[in-house]
Amino acid sequence: MFAAPRKLSLADWGERHLQLQQAGRREPFYGGPLRRHVELEKDFRLEQLQFDNSPAALRLWNFFLTENSRLHQARTAGDKIVGTMKDLGTVPVMAYALPGVRAFYPDGAWWTPCLMECSDKLLQQAAAMGVDASFCPVRAMLPAFENGEHFPKPELIICSTGAVCDDFSAIAQRLEHRGHPVFWWEIPRRRAPAVGETSCELPGKLLAPRSQVEAVRAELQRVADALGQLAGKSLGDSALTDGIRAANHIRQILADLRQAVYSAPAAPLPALEMLIAEMLAIHFCSDRPEAGLVLGELLAEAQRRMQQNQFVLPPDAVRIFWVNPVADLRAMNLLEDVGGRLCGTDFMFSHALDLIPESLPPLEALARTALADPMVGPASDRAKRIIRECQTYDAEAVVISRIPGASHCAREGESIREMVRQELGIPVVEMEIPPVCDAMLPTMTSRLEALVETARNKAKGLKPNSL
Amino acid sequence: MLCAGIDAGSRSIKAVLLDTDTGKILAAGVSDQGVEQERLATELFDKILFEAGLERAQISGVIATGYGRNAIRFADTTITEITCHARGVHQLAPETRTIIEIGGQDSKVISLENGGRVRDFAMNDRCAAGTGRFLEMVATRLNMNWSTLSELAHQSQKPALISNMCVVFAETEIIGLLAEGKPLADVVAGVQKAIATRVAALAGRSVASPVYFTGGVALQPGMARALEEVLACPVGVVSQPQFTGALGAAVLAGERAARNNL
Repeated sequence: MFAAPRKLSLADWGERHLQLQQAGRREPFYGGPLRRHVELEKDFRLEQLQFDNSPAALRLWNFFLTENSRLHQARTAGDKIVGTMKDLGTVPVMAYALPGVRAFYPDGAWWTPCLMECSDKLLQQAAAMGVDASFCPVRAMLPAFENGEHFPKPELIICSTGAVCDDFSAIAQRLEHRGHPVFWWEIPRRRAPAVGETSCELPGKLLAPRSQVEAVRAELQRVADALGQLAGKSLGDSALTDGIRAANHIRQILADLRQAVYSAPAAPLPALEMLIAEMLAIHFCSDRPEAGLVLGELLAEAQRRMQQNQFVLPPDAVRIFWVNPVADLRAMNLLEDVGGRLCGTDFMFSHALDLIPESLPPLEALARTALADPMVGPASDRAKRIIRECQTYDAEAVVISRIPGASHCAREGESIREMVRQELGIPVVEMEIPPVCDAMLPTMTSRLEALVETARNKAKGLKPNSL
Repeated sequence: MLCAGIDAGSRSIKAVLLDTDTGKILAAGVSDQGVEQERLATELFDKILFEAGLERAQISGVIATGYGRNAIRFADTTITEITCHARGVHQLAPETRTIIEIGGQDSKVISLENGGRVRDFAMNDRCAAGTGRFLEMVATRLNMNWSTLSELAHQSQKPALISNMCVVFAETEIIGLLAEGKPLADVVAGVQKAIATRVAALAGRSVASPVYFTGGVALQPGMARALEEVLACPVGVVSQPQFTGALGAAVLAGERAARNNL
């Protein structure tokens, strides 16, 4: 059943799936050959990706690509569906603390056109609704809410407001105006405590004034009340404590997976699968217990490969730290095609990877976690964490990808680049990756090749005439 | 040892034949880029070989660089233009710490460490506003020869403010400025300043001196002046700036061939 690690095309995965079936591999209810996602749901982009060949990766992809159908099944079974937007990792922990409630991430619908290329027309439909390409690809959620062809319409949509990006905010307001039930809660911009002001420690080695934590805690109490009302059951401390513990269980697996893969002498798993795995932290891909099992199997695969000294990439691949999620998944394959490997990430939701403090009252702990969101604080805080992790994982270069139209911080990339260069002296490249990057592929390839070349020469300590 | 570098850029192909023992350029040539990149590069390569009185068999190594480098199958290997420009400029001006390269469709800022190794680099994104394409558009619009733009810009008393960061919209803006009666010289100088500003933004907050300017656009003296004003530091122009990528490739081809012969 286990094979030497390598990357497969979608076509090759068909044969591999057959082999796994013949070898007696039992798949979960959402399992099956990957190609069906192209045939049934027109995810044409899958045909251009390279996938890890492990059964664990197959499970990960099938879990990821069946989210909408699993949500519909859950609705049919009577579960309440809650769309949680922008906070990326706090409200879902609360929602899953209630039995019969599932949280999902509608502004993650931009992933749909990423996978579906242009066949789905969500972005074009968004433009027809007045939200054009000057907005972030999260605009895909607007037509997805309207046409109901993707996720089921949620009973409740919970959106954070305040220190959130303009694009998201505008689109979420448009949704509310079109009659969708939005519950708003406010998150302030995180600031450093003033001299003499009582401060609180947040996950990720951050500090915030006590007053901000209290304000967010009060807001999250309102969220808890709204969720309780929806579920017909109060969301109290006991349920929240259990929910936090369950979320931390998954965060711990993910932390172990990141540690194993990013610190390994060579890459036991490819960058693309790591990106998808990390994304599960935000809302557990709509099934918390199953997300834990999927990640657990992936971790076991990484550990097995490391024990057997088997890697998916050569050991001389350049160690790259990647900042921000990509709008076209091919970029992660491309990184490896040009001789790089992932050795750390900051996909804008690092607070969803940190363990939620279990020694604090649950709402206090969640408030501190929400305030640790990299998007609600200054870019310098984010850069400091990136620098720490680059040091931990011995990064040789950094890629900062940008999503066209995303406006959460137009100058953030430059700030991070300057700080990383100053502190670490390693090359940093910024590049824009559009949702369908075909026209940009030569440029992207050239930049990544140049980055790998530069880092490789630097590591060898070569003089320019010794290439 | 005789080596060659081919720089298959987005607008033109450049080729250099180098005697690596003496560092002397034996021949260099440029041709327009086109769909059949390899044929065009082959013809150019053969042409400069002929000019130098050499044959292919006498060439110990060929390295291709530039966007079209992977199409040049007669090259022994490929190296990115970042490394090749750095190597080419280092060959001509070893003291260089920052390279500004403005080509037909892209621009780059390359930081070098002591000794010439690439420390870091930045490249423009998809917009052509910081590239030679902007100047080409202006030359076409003004019905002028590209190479005479600088002379005109030099006569400017007050460069026009070109506010648009997009070449397409800037063209409309330029038409508007001309319709208002803005002197031609001021418009051209304004375009040069807009390009320089765009490139300076790529460079970030700190630009280490000495700064050298290379790439086809460096052939316009006015551009170096515009860069000096925006960066507030002297900007040198290497000789034959359009060939630095190909020259760097030829130097690297020589080093590669020498290693292979060991």
